[in-house]
Amino acid sequence: MSWLWFDLCPAPVPGAMASARASDGAGCPAGVVCAWPPGQDRPTSTAVKIDERAIDPSGSPGWVSLARGADGITLPFDDPAVAHAIRMVLALAPADVFTTLVHGDDRCVGSLTGTHGDRTDLAFDPFANMFPATVLRVEAGLLGQMPAPAGPVTQRYGADNPWPWDRFQPR
Amino acid sequence: MSADLTVGRLFPDLVLPDHAGNERRLSDLAGDDPMILQFYRGWWCPKEQVFFRNLVDLQAEAEVAYTRFVSVSVDPPEVQAGFRAGIGARWTFLSDASRSHIGELGLMEMTDAAHRPYLPTVFTLRPDLTIHRVYDGYWFWGRPTNEELRQDFRAISHVSRPDWEAPRP
Repeated sequence: MSWLWFDLCPAPVPGAMASARASDGAGCPAGVVCAWPPGQDRPTSTAVKIDERAIDPSGSPGWVSLARGADGITLPFDDPAVAHAIRMVLALAPADVFTTLVHGDDRCVGSLTGTHGDRTDLAFDPFANMFPATVLRVEAGLLGQMPAPAGPVTQRYGADNPWPWDRFQPR
Repeated sequence: MSADLTVGRLFPDLVLPDHAGNERRLSDLAGDDPMILQFYRGWWCPKEQVFFRNLVDLQAEAEVAYTRFVSVSVDPPEVQAGFRAGIGARWTFLSDASRSHIGELGLMEMTDAAHRPYLPTVFTLRPDLTIHRVYDGYWFWGRPTNEELRQDFRAISHVSRPDWEAPRP
């Protein structure tokens, strides 16, 4: 598998393979960011798919920009706005983590951009043009470290898979 | 050029910093896709600027065709990042500022003692880094046209995509 389930939950959810408390820029609690392995039913009603490389249960703390549509708001990956946002991600300096959020096989519901550095690394989020974005501080135990997308490919490698997962077959 | 860099041989799996300073391995950048591996003199060369415009034109096709581009020079990463952004490239640039591979590859441009750049050379590679074709770009007309690159990628895809022939009912 090349993806994991992912959600921002109000409280810890049993069965998560990785989780970390999140807070907003002012330090106010914002929930718990959770990831689950794919070999199970959707763990929450709002869970989406992310690139598995975005998650590391032993990852250090960091900041994330979570761009996420309201319930039921999705765009097809073939929407020119989504394609253009992906192009912008490729053009920008690479973040420690970037993954699109996938609902079903072909619907984009946002993105997760992460850094183990300063929150100013997340000052510009191309997906915030389509989906409301929130910058959150996440504690240790969740955020991974991904290789930057090689480019210039903007297409997903098979239905089900988030972009930038970069092969048709699992490694 | 090294005698090993000929059609049918494996290109060395270079490890170099990218335009953001992150260490990258060529085979990781290729993934399971065909690749253009372009060695260029530097941002300052007018011939490179023209050739890059051709590649940027081809980029729109590559981004939907599961095809990778990688460009290598002796420019430091921060210079490559600025050049990359300026021309609108959305692929990975690798920096060999220390010229750690230029000798073993035999790709030093001997006639430019001032910059000691890479000899302009374009390789089209199979996903396993087997060299499909080599273009010596010392003279500009030695470089591949976008049509030649399309033909190379068609040929590589034909042999490397198990489902090149669309599944039939």
